[in-house]
Amino acid sequence: MKNRKLGVISIMLMVMVILSACSAAIPETPIDETEETVSTKPFEGHTLVVWIGSHAVEQEPIWNKWVADFEDMTGANIELSLLGFEGYYEQLVTAYSAGAPPDVALGDLGGWVPEFAAQGWIIPLEDQINSWEGKDQIFDNLWVTVTYDDKYYGLPWDCDSRFLIFNKQMFRDVGLDPENPPETWDELLQYAQAINDPENGVYGYGVSGAMSELATLGYMMFLGGNGERLLSDDYSQATFNSPEGLEALKFYTELFTEYEVSPPGTANQGEDEYRNGMAAGKIGMAVGGNWSWPLLYLANPDLEGEVGTSLHPYNSEPYSVLGGWATMISEASNEKELAWEWMKHMTSKDAWLYWLTQSEGPMPTRKDVANESPLFEDEKWQVQLETLAYADARPPIPEYTQISYEIQLMVQSVITGQSTAEEAIERAASNVNTILGN
Amino acid sequence: MKRTGLTAYVYMLPYVIIVVCLIIFPFIWNVSLSFESDNSFLSNYQEKFSDIIFGKVFSNTLIWTFFSVFFQLIIGLNIAILLNQKIKGIALFRALILILPWAIPDIVAAIAWKWMYNDLYGVFNDILLRFNIINRPIAWLGNISLAMPSIIVANIWKGFAMSAMFYLAALQSINNEIIEAAKVDGANNFAIYRHLLLPHLQPTIISTVILTIIFTINYFPLIFSMTGGGPYHSTDTLVTWSYQLGFRFLKFNESATVSTINFLFILIFSIAYSYIFFRKEKV
Repeated sequence: MKNRKLGVISIMLMVMVILSACSAAIPETPIDETEETVSTKPFEGHTLVVWIGSHAVEQEPIWNKWVADFEDMTGANIELSLLGFEGYYEQLVTAYSAGAPPDVALGDLGGWVPEFAAQGWIIPLEDQINSWEGKDQIFDNLWVTVTYDDKYYGLPWDCDSRFLIFNKQMFRDVGLDPENPPETWDELLQYAQAINDPENGVYGYGVSGAMSELATLGYMMFLGGNGERLLSDDYSQATFNSPEGLEALKFYTELFTEYEVSPPGTANQGEDEYRNGMAAGKIGMAVGGNWSWPLLYLANPDLEGEVGTSLHPYNSEPYSVLGGWATMISEASNEKELAWEWMKHMTSKDAWLYWLTQSEGPMPTRKDVANESPLFEDEKWQVQLETLAYADARPPIPEYTQISYEIQLMVQSVITGQSTAEEAIERAASNVNTILGN
Repeated sequence: MKRTGLTAYVYMLPYVIIVVCLIIFPFIWNVSLSFESDNSFLSNYQEKFSDIIFGKVFSNTLIWTFFSVFFQLIIGLNIAILLNQKIKGIALFRALILILPWAIPDIVAAIAWKWMYNDLYGVFNDILLRFNIINRPIAWLGNISLAMPSIIVANIWKGFAMSAMFYLAALQSINNEIIEAAKVDGANNFAIYRHLLLPHLQPTIISTVILTIIFTINYFPLIFSMTGGGPYHSTDTLVTWSYQLGFRFLKFNESATVSTINFLFILIFSIAYSYIFFRKEKV
């Protein structure tokens, strides 16, 4: 009998312990013991959970300063997680679908915002953004990346646009002038062939061919440079299968299949591998962005001052693809007002100007910061500013990830010799149209 | 008797709750997701079975599993026999050969293999070029016919150690006197291997092979980090495809359908394993 009682009590205790551990933490109202001190800070006792992805997480001291300033100003407690890039998307999707997301998160401008908005995971910020004094300072071409169903769902925080990066020493070694990089497709091919030396494992240009977003971005650089876009202006159907799109696909893939200026492992490589190759003096030119040179210097300190940048060579019009990150507020958040305050803080002019005194990049989304920060006097950052003007967003629709996947398969099927460019582009366009409901 | 039973249940309760929360509940949810569709009850399954990619991915899963397990068995068994000798420093050999590949984290191993296969500065191409066996680097992971064999080789290296450990444990349970007696009776090494060691190891081999099959079908990090399923689906297996459907395209129903099919596939081997294991227990 005693044993049975003991058993029942043990069960009850365990259930209580487990239930209390499983239940959501109830925020405690701070008890002011003195009762005489009246707080003037608007968010005293409130906690905000913030998740930061992207390479910006490497600047931990700056984040800590931003958090300390904000906490001091508002009285709120910021729980900041610097999660980086690898696996961040999966973590975020899991948190949203499990109903326990952070209050504020950074989302990639490559289609995450409309995708999450379509799932009902994040809230529209139309009223907040329209009444925010900083709205006019955000680069105009970024707004489309955070728009879904004609409403803003995110606030662009940092941005980038892709351009050509090259190893100046490798140019000089073959008698090319690094101050006059290639401007057209023909010149790109000439330069790449001049640098190319497969016997010694040296290649002129890196074609991104791996199954990743980088293959889509690589193709888009040529597609846009030939005056064509992936989809129609209303994003309702594929347009990349036009003669211009086909010409771009052929030229892009022939750099590998016919001219062999891209390494043999092209089908499993992207920008990141080529950047490492460039650091090792094996790849002359590749697509990159404002994150490329710090990483190149890190991989090979001798390259300091030897990394060239220019607008990517084009056929009919200058072009670049827009990237970057935006902040978003979760539908499940109980601290939406505080969340918006934090987003404004992160995107404020003062916060950004401070950031750029501590770190070379990333590129802020604010025009006034770009005008005032001395960083942008540098030649490489000038190229970044120049290309930003030509930069075009990836289609801001929830189906973008699937469309991008079809583009990756298209590029892969041509460079692995599974299909001709004509077959691959027709198949991809047909699949993209099916995805778009046509 | 009853009281003892109740106490036993109490001790089991936390474990049961954890299993229900972390395994049974997600499993039931996954299966129910796989039947959710705007069309008919089974339409997700019908769609997947008629998808050309499904056929490709399924055959990839079979090839990946068969060759990985087959070579892990052969190499694991022979390494175990070699490491079962009484020679000086055998403990060090065992640690280096058996623990090293097994203890290296999956992602680290994947990145290391990816670098070794690299066409610009990978060690394999470098050696082949130096010995003039090839005159151009080979795109091990970028070639549609070489990518799968290349990741299988990496997986064999990563997984043979676990098999070898099981075999070594079984070999050490053989009484040395029997082997000595066989030698006195004139048995050569091959006869000892064929008629003594192999029959003794048979139950361990069967159970290890089935366990390895289950692990290999479900093994995700190596493939995903080395090739991401490419080029052109040539290394996609059921698990990598299910992951892509769920986490890249947010098509959770389709992802659940593929993982349920994967589960049924594994279930066959799990039942076989349980049958052999419990039959052995009864004996």
